[in-house]
Amino acid sequence: MTDLLNIEGLRTVFRTGSGEVTAVDGVSLSVARGKTLGIVGESGCGKSVLSLSLMRLVPSPGRIAGGRVMFDGKDLLSLPPAAMRDIRGRRIAMIFQEPMTSLNPVFTVGDQITEAMRAHDRGASAAALKSRAIAALDRVRIPAPERRFDEYPHQMSGGMRQRVMIAMALSCDPDLLIADEPTTALDVTVQAQILDLLRDLQQQSGMAIILITHDLGVVAEMADEVAVMYAGRVVERTSGKAIFDDPQHPYTLGLLGSIPKLEETQDRLLAIEGAVPPPFALPQGCRFNPRCVFADAECTRIDPQLRDLAAGHAVACLRAPVESIVGVGA
Amino acid sequence: MSALLEVEGLAKHYPVRRGLVMARQVGTVRAVDGVSFRLDRGETLALVGESGCGKSTTARLVLRLIEPSAGTVRFEGTDITALGGQALRKLRRRMQIVFQDPFASLNPRMTVGDILEEPLIVHEIGDRAARRARVEELLRLVGLAPFHAQRYPHEFSGGQRQRVGIARALAVEPALVVCDEPVSALDVSIQAQVVNLMKDLQARLGLSYLFIAHDLAVVKHMADRVAVMYLGRIVEEAPKDALFARPLHPYTRALLSAIPRPDPHRRGGHQIPKGDVPSPMNPPPGCHFNTRCPFATDICRTEDPPLRAPAIPGLPAGHIAACHHSESLPPVAVEEEAQPMAPAAARRLALYAERRGKMAATAG
Repeated sequence: MTDLLNIEGLRTVFRTGSGEVTAVDGVSLSVARGKTLGIVGESGCGKSVLSLSLMRLVPSPGRIAGGRVMFDGKDLLSLPPAAMRDIRGRRIAMIFQEPMTSLNPVFTVGDQITEAMRAHDRGASAAALKSRAIAALDRVRIPAPERRFDEYPHQMSGGMRQRVMIAMALSCDPDLLIADEPTTALDVTVQAQILDLLRDLQQQSGMAIILITHDLGVVAEMADEVAVMYAGRVVERTSGKAIFDDPQHPYTLGLLGSIPKLEETQDRLLAIEGAVPPPFALPQGCRFNPRCVFADAECTRIDPQLRDLAAGHAVACLRAPVESIVGVGA
Repeated sequence: MSALLEVEGLAKHYPVRRGLVMARQVGTVRAVDGVSFRLDRGETLALVGESGCGKSTTARLVLRLIEPSAGTVRFEGTDITALGGQALRKLRRRMQIVFQDPFASLNPRMTVGDILEEPLIVHEIGDRAARRARVEELLRLVGLAPFHAQRYPHEFSGGQRQRVGIARALAVEPALVVCDEPVSALDVSIQAQVVNLMKDLQARLGLSYLFIAHDLAVVKHMADRVAVMYLGRIVEEAPKDALFARPLHPYTRALLSAIPRPDPHRRGGHQIPKGDVPSPMNPPPGCHFNTRCPFATDICRTEDPPLRAPAIPGLPAGHIAACHHSESLPPVAVEEEAQPMAPAAARRLALYAERRGKMAATAG
C-alpha cells in the first residue's frame, strides 16, 4: 500500500447544551504520496473539523470519538502528545483560509518563519535559520526575499501573506500539506498564481496535499482524488476527472449546476435550495433528502451508505445513477 | 431608456500624511481617479476588478456615503454632489446598498423584524401596523417567512442573512440598488440562490443595479454591461456579450483567464499577470497596467492610454478600452475553449434541471 494517510471511520463530536452532536460522522478517506485529495462541500459540512481532527487540533468542547488516522504506518490518534507535536509542522503542515489573521501582526515575517524552524531544529544558529528562511521565501517566489524578511505582515498584500504562510508550512519539508480554503480570500489572478505555485512545489517536493474548498473550479485545477462531503459525511468519492465527467450524487450535481459558466449563457443558475442542516437537526434517512430533487419516500427512511458504483467511484445515494429513475414518480 | 445615474469624472484622493505633531502630506492615494459611466433604468452595470482597484470606493461615492474630491454624480437628472439636509435625506430613499459581509452588516442585537423596520422609521413611512405588514411582505419577497421577523441574525445562515440584507435595501422602494460584492462571501451553491433571487427581484420591481464584483463568472449572469477597473480607473467598458466575446484590454483577458474552470481537462494554462497590483499611491508611469502586461511596449511605459473606442470594424457601440494596442491584440485563444461537458454529466444535469423546474412549478 502506498497510501500516506488512511482515515478510517473518523468521528468527531462536540458537546453542547443539548447533548452531543456529530460534526464528522464516520469518514473514511486516503491520500497517496505526492497526490492531491480535494475535499468539497458547503460551509457547515464538516470539512474544516475533519482537517483539524487529522492534526488532533479539535477545539474544546469537541473531541475525536472514534476511528483511526493512519499516517505513514502510525495511528495519529493513539500517539502520545509529544510525538504528535513532532509530526505537526514537520511531517504534516497546514495553511488556512485567512492569511490576514494567521500571521501575528507584531512580529516580522522573518521572525515568524524562523520560529517554526527553530521549534523543530533547536540547535540551528540564527544565521543559518535566517538564510533558510530567505531560501523558503524565495521558493514561494516572493521577490526581494532579503528585504521582505524584515517586513511586517501589514506591509504585504493578501497574496504575499498567503505565500509567506506557504513558505512557513513548507519550511520543514512536510510529507502532507493540509490547505484549508487557501485561496478563498484572494482575488482571482492571485488565486491562479497561488494554485500554480502549489502545483509546482508539489512536483518538486513530492508532498501530498489535502485541499479543502467549496469551489469545484479549484478542485478541477488541483485534485487527483475528490471527496464530496455533506453534513459530516462523505457522499461521493472518486477521481478528480470522474467527479466532472461522471457525477453521481444529486448533491454533486447541484454543486456543479451552481457554478456560473463562462462559456455559455444560462438564464438561471441551478441552485440547490435550502442550506446544510446543522448537526443537531439532521433529517431522517438520507441527510440530503430535504434538498434533493430526486428524493422519494424511501430516501426519508433509509440512510444510504457509500457503495461502489464503479471501480474507485463510491456514492452514498439510493437513487444513483439518477437516469435509472426517469419517469418514475414526479 | 433614460439614464438613472450619470457619473462624470468622479475622483477620490486620500492624502497620506507622515509625522505626529507636524503632519505633512507626503503623497496621495488616488483610490478613484476620474471614473465616468451611466446606468439606465432597469439595467445592471457591473464594476469589476481586484482588491484595491477602487470599485467599492466608487460605489460609496455614488451613494454619497463619502465625499468625492472631484466629479459629478447625476441621479435622475440632479447633481447630488451638492445636495444637503432634507434633499439628501429624500435621495437616500431612492438609492440603497447591499453589503458584502452578511455577518457584519446586520446588527446582532436587533431582530430581523426590527432591522427591516428601521429604514421605514428613519424615512417616516407608514404607521406601526403598516410597517409591520411591510416587513412581512419584504420577508416573503426575498423567500423568507413572516415568522423569521422574530429571529436574530445569528440564527440565520450566510445566504439567509444576505436575503435579509437585500430585503432591508428594498424596504424603502429604491430605484437604484448598489450591490457591493453581495455574493462573494457565500458558498457557490448559496451564491446561485442569491443571484437568482436578485435577478427575479429586478424583473419584478424594475430595479437598477450597480453590481460590484471581482468574479467575472458571476457578473456574466447578472450584468447587462460591464466596466473593468484597475487602479482607480475604468480600463474597459462594454455590453456584456461583447466583453466576454472579445476583451480588448489585456487586464480583462487576464481576469478571464485566471478563473478556475470546473473542467479538469484543461488544468493550468492560465495567462496570469505577474506580480501584484502596484500601490495606488505610486502608480507606474504611462499605462498603469504596463508593469504586468505581456503586450507592453515603449509607448505603454510613457503615455497614458485614453479610454476610447478602438478602430475595429464591427465592434458594438459602447465598447471602449484604454489600451494602446487594442486593435493589434492577438485574438483570444479559442482553441483552449472548453470541450463540451461529458455526456453522462450533461445528461444528469439536464435531468436535475428538469426536476428542479417541476418542483419550482408545483411549489410556486
